[in-house]
Amino acid sequence: MSATPFTPPSRLHIAARIAAAMLGGYAFCWGFVALFIASMFAAGMPFHDAESLSYMLAFLLFFGLFLWAFAARSLARVWGVLAGGGALMSAAAWLIQRSLL
Amino acid sequence: MFQNFRLTMAWLHTWFGLVLGFVLMVVFFFGSLSVFDREIDRWAIPESRFAPQPMPSFDRVLQPVFEAMTKPDAANIEAARERVNGPMADSFPVVNSWGAYTTHRDPVLSVFTSFVLPNAKQADDLVWGSLTIDPRDGRPLPQDHLKIGSQFFYPLHYSLNLHWKNLGTWIVGFAALIMLVALVSGVVMHRKIFRELFTFRPKKHTQRSALDLHNLTGVVALPFHFIFALSGLVIFGGIYFPVTHTQLEPLHELHEQHEAMATGLPAQRAGQPATLASVDAMVAEAQRRWAAKGMAGEVGFLNVQHVGDANAYVSVYRAGTDRVTLTGEGMHFKGSSGELIRVDPPVTVVAGINNFLTGLHLQHFRHWLLRWLYVLGGLSGCVCIATGFIFFVEKRKRQHAKQGLSGARWVDALAVTTVTGMLIATMAVLIANRLLPGDLPARGDWEQYGFWGAWLLAFFHALWRTAPVSEGRIAPAWGEQCWAVAALAITAVLMNWASTGDHLLSTLGRAYWPVAGVDVALLASAALAVLAARRLGRRAHLAISSPSAEAAHA
Repeated sequence: MSATPFTPPSRLHIAARIAAAMLGGYAFCWGFVALFIASMFAAGMPFHDAESLSYMLAFLLFFGLFLWAFAARSLARVWGVLAGGGALMSAAAWLIQRSLL
Repeated sequence: MFQNFRLTMAWLHTWFGLVLGFVLMVVFFFGSLSVFDREIDRWAIPESRFAPQPMPSFDRVLQPVFEAMTKPDAANIEAARERVNGPMADSFPVVNSWGAYTTHRDPVLSVFTSFVLPNAKQADDLVWGSLTIDPRDGRPLPQDHLKIGSQFFYPLHYSLNLHWKNLGTWIVGFAALIMLVALVSGVVMHRKIFRELFTFRPKKHTQRSALDLHNLTGVVALPFHFIFALSGLVIFGGIYFPVTHTQLEPLHELHEQHEAMATGLPAQRAGQPATLASVDAMVAEAQRRWAAKGMAGEVGFLNVQHVGDANAYVSVYRAGTDRVTLTGEGMHFKGSSGELIRVDPPVTVVAGINNFLTGLHLQHFRHWLLRWLYVLGGLSGCVCIATGFIFFVEKRKRQHAKQGLSGARWVDALAVTTVTGMLIATMAVLIANRLLPGDLPARGDWEQYGFWGAWLLAFFHALWRTAPVSEGRIAPAWGEQCWAVAALAITAVLMNWASTGDHLLSTLGRAYWPVAGVDVALLASAALAVLAARRLGRRAHLAISSPSAEAAHA
């Protein structure tokens, strides 16, 4: 157990954790799916293969991120990684798509 | 979030498991019933109680049926109103496709036609018409008779029948994600993991036995539950992450152009009318080619694309009765000449994995023992969730009683509603099905009102008869609803006999398992419900005669 005295999380903190796990996790996975499909298609994988493989991985990823969002010490980092990562990957997917069209 | 990982997982498991448990119970139970959805359909529609039929002749039976389908379903026209510019058209002259689908368990055949939606806001928007026919003569069955198995229980399993904006599907998807979370967090919570997970002490007090059973069912069936939650999510991946229809729509269109060129299957109509060659000859050719590869040759799905056009093509897919994976081995023929244009290539590794996961979940195979194992796996999930609720209540009710809180009582009321109340609703829809007159307009809707109405009544009863929980005692609601389940289940069996003459001795004697199976399952449910009710009664009696006996366990 940790040596520092533990204060139970406030309601606001719990709500923010839940929002991070659900919305942040979704945003991150959206970015992952978009980037995976765009980059794999660009690399020559059949489109539907890229699609279905991205879903299989995305739900496992979502599940892992969901646990992490609650287990991680810093909530700010959780939000930063999930929302920031999602946005970055979506943007990258958009760039790849633009270069292919 | 808490001192350590284990406590965080315990918190997640308790609260997300509780809230989504109510959804998961519905998903697991109606998923289990969906394993036999076609058989439940036979029970619900006596006109369809005959043997499964193969795909009928297209030229003689199906083509006249399709040609007589000139309009989409009224409900689909209604739903399409917001997708057109200006008023809805009266006629739908351009037929995009004709399709017919059957399985090795279907006596009746589903046929559907997609029409190009006139004045659509989005180009290529379609609106669907559907029909159920007797494949022996093409005669349509009454369309307002509800297929309780495949059109009510089955969609309830994945959409809660809440179709507005796919809301139900999203709720079920989140519940499936939480199922994965609950399975893993449930394992992490335990310290003496191996010993705890394989212990069941039924003679101990309720809280202990409930937890034992919760752990046992959760762990023994863990791989089954994990794979089903995950494959369910993957099947609807395109709904949950509609990336290729939003952000990557342009890329998707690019791919479709490539694909149309690669397959030689025209993506668009040519605009010139043409007649259709013999589809039966195309089916025979497809079957000859499957047989040459040593594959079972029943046709599962038949599709004519770009009907009436020079670009029309016919796709023939195999019913995957001989393997778990979703299969098709499609053959595509030019509609006007019957010439083979394309044979689907062997699937890629990724598609193979995806088809296997999908096939594993949807079970098109012919293997009755495996089907029953699915039911067992699904019902063990129900036991796991129900015992989770009971443990939650048992652990807190005395504490809440002392503090004057009503949380445990509310959870108990909702648990009664989702466990026994759900069974009452299920029996009610079956009884309504046998009770309502055959010519009642919108009969299927009334059957569904019966289902939801009974469930609502069960909820009010549960709310009322869980009052003793707030004093730390057992709720009489459980036992009373068990009696109701038993009475309703027996009534359903008797109603089936009275309204169709198909009593158990007759259906068992003829080995007509679809109807006999539903009746036997109903009687077995009644027997279990009586057993449960009597046990609960004895326990309540014991608690009243010696209040300390219950309290001593606390």
